[in-house]
Amino acid sequence: MSDADASRGPVAARRGAPRPAWRARALRRTPVALVGAATVACIACVALAAPVLAPRDPVAQTATPLLPPGHGSLAGTDELGRDELSRLIYGARVSLYVGVLAVGIALGLGATSGILAGFYGGWVDNVTMRTMDVLFSLPALVLAIAITSILGPGVTNVMVAVGIVYAPTFARIARGPTLAVVGLPYIEAARALGASNRTIVLRHILPNVSAPLLVQTTVSLSTAILTEAALSFLGLGTQPPTASWGLMLSAARQYMLLDPWIAVLPGCAIAVTVLGFNLLGDGLRDLLDPRIRTL
Amino acid sequence: MFAGTEGQLSPAQRAQVLHQFGLDRPLAIQYVLWLWNVLRGNFGWSFRSGQPVAGLLASRLPVTIELAVLSVGAAAAAGVPLGVLASTARSVRAKTLVQVVGLAGLSVPNFWIAVLLIIVASYAFHWLPALIFASPFAQPWVNLQQMLLPVLSLALGLAAVVVRMTRSAMLEALGQEYVRVARAKGLAARAVLLRHAMRNALIPVVTVLGLQMGYLLGGVVITEQIFGLPGLGWTLLNGVYQRDYPVVQGAVMLFAVMFVLTNLTVDLLYTSLDPRIRYQ
Repeated sequence: MSDADASRGPVAARRGAPRPAWRARALRRTPVALVGAATVACIACVALAAPVLAPRDPVAQTATPLLPPGHGSLAGTDELGRDELSRLIYGARVSLYVGVLAVGIALGLGATSGILAGFYGGWVDNVTMRTMDVLFSLPALVLAIAITSILGPGVTNVMVAVGIVYAPTFARIARGPTLAVVGLPYIEAARALGASNRTIVLRHILPNVSAPLLVQTTVSLSTAILTEAALSFLGLGTQPPTASWGLMLSAARQYMLLDPWIAVLPGCAIAVTVLGFNLLGDGLRDLLDPRIRTL
Repeated sequence: MFAGTEGQLSPAQRAQVLHQFGLDRPLAIQYVLWLWNVLRGNFGWSFRSGQPVAGLLASRLPVTIELAVLSVGAAAAAGVPLGVLASTARSVRAKTLVQVVGLAGLSVPNFWIAVLLIIVASYAFHWLPALIFASPFAQPWVNLQQMLLPVLSLALGLAAVVVRMTRSAMLEALGQEYVRVARAKGLAARAVLLRHAMRNALIPVVTVLGLQMGYLLGGVVITEQIFGLPGLGWTLLNGVYQRDYPVVQGAVMLFAVMFVLTNLTVDLLYTSLDPRIRYQ
């Protein structure tokens, strides 16, 4: 992941999308990214259209508990007689909502501090990056568990926890390319023309950082969704009766030998969604990082 | 005196409990005291049981280390040979297949694999390991049976990642000039593959394995919880559930130490894998 920034040369600060035709052609050459994009798009549509698609209320007890798939409901019912398919569909909402907002927090915190650390250097750089190093010295899930144990369980706290956990990655990724371009003549020229720090960062540095950040954002979405599922599985994330895939899997543990379906389906949903984001991120990396593409 | 009985305490008793655990002092001072005590090997006392946390964690640590080492070992033992094998197939299809398998390894949650393994083991094989944890020294065979499913649940995903890394590192090594020289002087394909290419390809693989330790140590927490293995992760989670903060603090601290030590070990391993790297 971090080698993406080392290989990246300066990109002239240009406005507008560069060479869309080239991008489109390259995208066709990486079918893996297309499959990933299609999967992500499907899941996003399901999440958005949940009220229309779900056959029943995801929290209402509508039928006999632990029905296998087929008997009047497509995916059967869970341990409390709630419609499994509806819960899976609504679960997509929770996963994407938590994933997107958590990665948004990580991107905002991490990219801002990384760019500022690279831009100002000196003690700003030292203080920022050493703080990030401390966060980096803990396994992600352990740090997330520690943070939720302080803040208490719940969706919002999970988002904050995951956001903090993944911020250091973004900081490192943003700092590298910033350092690479901050001493170049065109930055000096911009300053000589009277551009403010704000303009320099936003118009001349940000474009150099955006490609690796985009790749990292996609990959982080997958890990954020996994972390939410793990925390909910442990009872520290989304709280009942909300339909969340991790929570459904956790409840299924007690009944999995009576009805294996309720343990299989939520896991499938997590795996497919996370795989979609990973395929997309991997494809984007091939596309945006010329050095890796030649391999 | 147990925590959790706050509602039944008189204000005087409450003050006494708070004082006993040092909770009546400002947070900053509590932190400095905790740090000072940790430096002297004292992790405080559990709010629940009153036991010293250091002893509790020390008794739980070996389980976690065993689980982590066995998992990394199993993932490397399965992933590296498969990756080397995959590097001999150079078609686009082989590349895509290995790429998707590697990404699937990252995507499938290990707690789901664990749940599936339990279902498969009990349905298909009518087999579940003994429930009471057995030490590897007292009952090695029982312990190995108990470790089988947890190790599988952690190693499967990791092995897929290792296959992909090994293949791409091997392809890079096979493209180097010294491989062409080795082939030109008539060495057997097997010797070129294993002695010349693999030795060099292992360096990035070891790096990735080291980085994956973080993912693994996180996975250990859930795996121990699912399989009821009394390790550090299990202790951490029970600490969280019971709001036993000294235990949580100590466990998190130990996880960080293990993580940092693993990364250091990886750095030191480089020098034996690649004599060109020297630390001053």
